[in-house]
Amino acid sequence: MRNVSIVGIGHTVFGNLSDFDLVDVMAFASGNALDDAGIREDRKIIEQVFVANMGGGIINHQTGIASSLVSRMDMEPAMAELVENGPASGASAVKLGYMAIASGMVDVVMVTGGELMRSVTGWEGTDFVASLLHPEAEYNYGLTLPAYGGMFTRIYMERYGLTERDLGLIAVKDHQNGAKNPFAHVRVPCTIEAIHDSENAHVINNYVAEPLRMYGMCPVSDGAASLILCAEDSPKMKYFTKQTPIRITGIGSATDTHCVHNRKDPLVLDAVRLAAERAYAMAGLKAEDISFAELHDAFVILELAISEEVGFFERGKSAEALRNGVTAIDGAKPINTSGGLKSKGHPVGATGVSQVFELVKQLRGQAEKEGRQVKNAKHGMAVNFGGFGNNVVAVICSRRDA
Amino acid sequence: MAIDKMEQSLRPPQLDLKPFPAKIITLANGEEMVVREVKREEVGVLLGTIQPLMGVQKDFYDIVASRMYAEILGWFEYRVANEFVLVGAINGEIAGIVNSRLIDGKTGMSYHTMTIKRGLRIGAQLFAAKMEHHIDILGNDEVHIVAESPNGFKRWMIEYALEDRSSRYPALHHELGGVPTFTLTRELWERVKADKCTGTRPVSPEKLATADKLKMPSEYPQIPGFKRG
Amino acid sequence: MIDFSAYGVKTPEVKAVKCPSCGKLHYPAPMICNKCGERRDPSGVIFKHWETVSLSGECTLLAWTRVYALPDGLDMQYLLFGIVEFPNGLRASGRLEVDQPVTGMKVNARAETMDNSKGKEFDGLIFGDL
Repeated sequence: MRNVSIVGIGHTVFGNLSDFDLVDVMAFASGNALDDAGIREDRKIIEQVFVANMGGGIINHQTGIASSLVSRMDMEPAMAELVENGPASGASAVKLGYMAIASGMVDVVMVTGGELMRSVTGWEGTDFVASLLHPEAEYNYGLTLPAYGGMFTRIYMERYGLTERDLGLIAVKDHQNGAKNPFAHVRVPCTIEAIHDSENAHVINNYVAEPLRMYGMCPVSDGAASLILCAEDSPKMKYFTKQTPIRITGIGSATDTHCVHNRKDPLVLDAVRLAAERAYAMAGLKAEDISFAELHDAFVILELAISEEVGFFERGKSAEALRNGVTAIDGAKPINTSGGLKSKGHPVGATGVSQVFELVKQLRGQAEKEGRQVKNAKHGMAVNFGGFGNNVVAVICSRRDA
Repeated sequence: MAIDKMEQSLRPPQLDLKPFPAKIITLANGEEMVVREVKREEVGVLLGTIQPLMGVQKDFYDIVASRMYAEILGWFEYRVANEFVLVGAINGEIAGIVNSRLIDGKTGMSYHTMTIKRGLRIGAQLFAAKMEHHIDILGNDEVHIVAESPNGFKRWMIEYALEDRSSRYPALHHELGGVPTFTLTRELWERVKADKCTGTRPVSPEKLATADKLKMPSEYPQIPGFKRG
Repeated sequence: MIDFSAYGVKTPEVKAVKCPSCGKLHYPAPMICNKCGERRDPSGVIFKHWETVSLSGECTLLAWTRVYALPDGLDMQYLLFGIVEFPNGLRASGRLEVDQPVTGMKVNARAETMDNSKGKEFDGLIFGDL
């Protein structure tokens, strides 16, 4: 298969962008990627655009978003399609971009993911995301993604002895990283004393879906991120001299039962494990080769569960690694150096693209000036988690000299 | 100033209100917020804090700021009966303000909640402190509540499970525009208090001293690039 | 043929289905049996009819949570939810009405007609005390 590299990256700030138009927000991130790649003038070399978005049709009442984006950026006649895979739409779009190039059909692809969720109330936003659940057996009841996050957390705590304090420590780490990320939604650090130990903590850090508290859940965010991909064997690589190309070495994805209750062991996330195994196999790498990772911590428990499922830690042992600082930026296996979904935010369609953006930034060594550079980063892994684990995409990016 | 007869007749009769005992809340980022009652002579710094937000249309800051400005001014000039104002201050800098008044010894009329520093649930803490003052300290049996921002209102309504009194409209209405009111009763308060209201008392004299001299905020997340002129 | 039962008083019911070829029970109804590959035709015209089995009665609570982040339209402070397992091995999600839930406890599942967040009626499961 052809080698594919990421040659440009763009991002908007994550947060409340409800004053703006969805396609404008996506286009702004796309423009940042064009500029980063140094091809603003030559943007028409992009042959294919994949746009990741989950709720434009529902919450923003906009359809035909991919064509709209191309037009807004004056990139006609590029081919353009929308990719919707719930909260994993972003990494799915990266995967399709990779496939389009690897197949030989095109040489240069832009992948842009974006979401505007703050234009509706929090209750409407929660309802919109819950629409990915099984309509009859889950959604009807008022079940939401946080509800499954809460149930998953409780079973995990009961089986492995995880404590609420451990959950708090994940938030503390993520916020520490996010505070240094200029694009992060919540750039306020939090302390374990305040969100867990203090006598005010139970009110400051209230329950959202027991035993998950507010500092156990990601915020509802708006934002967009964008990547430009190019075939390494293409003559068009000559346009991309501005940045160090970062290679996509592995991509895998997998699905699992739609209804969470139909999984044999509710704590086993088959789709995560299979997606990672496929990505490792393609890259010819093992879990221990991965220098750092962006793991989909929409609920902090998922950072732990995913890190075990992809083979970084044994089942039930990730909390120990967390307590020992292994997953901090200066630890042996840094996780969510961008702040993760917890602090950076989670505009659902943008998240997977944003995770890969962070991999590229770290692998290029450009997180240095923000004071959050992973030392000797060679291979980074992103896991984008769709549904409650029913459609998961793993992406591995590597330095070309690694 | 000598109070002449005319001025005397313009002033409402005042109930003697018990003071709000100051408390301190550790916020998620580890900062400590002193919540205490505002003194009349501190009105200037409050008005200066509120005024820049009168031009912020987003999230109804403009109407909340304008009304709160007038309500606090009204309190200062003896034009509102039985009003109290609480402030949340971090190292003396104002992070949020709430105000309210009593109709009589048994009934409260909640006015406004204004959050300046965002993302730390300061508004929720100050709103809870206001309800605590009404019911636990001033001994009110119920507090009438509405809000300008639909989001804020829905939050209080759902989280406090407020009683819908709109069927008694217009006989019973809220002072803020005469809209149908929702009501927090003592019973509802007792049910949610443990999850909504926190703070440590007494506050040590050193910590209380940090909020002795209130300061206007140096920046407003609602107003990018704000400079106090 | 007219289904005259549609005009009677309906009893709330949550239905699992049984594969007509291998007998495996499923909830919610799939379009293909994951054991033997038999297909289901909701119209009942082309393939064999799948009989339904009511879900109710004693079951075990596998997981539960109290949720404050509810969808628009469910304007209550919180709702309790749980996942249960029935003695026949089927599992289901539903609302929980138990004062002090404990993982692993026995609960009683009953079907009730309730409203979803959009105000649409549906028959769903409520897990209460035995």
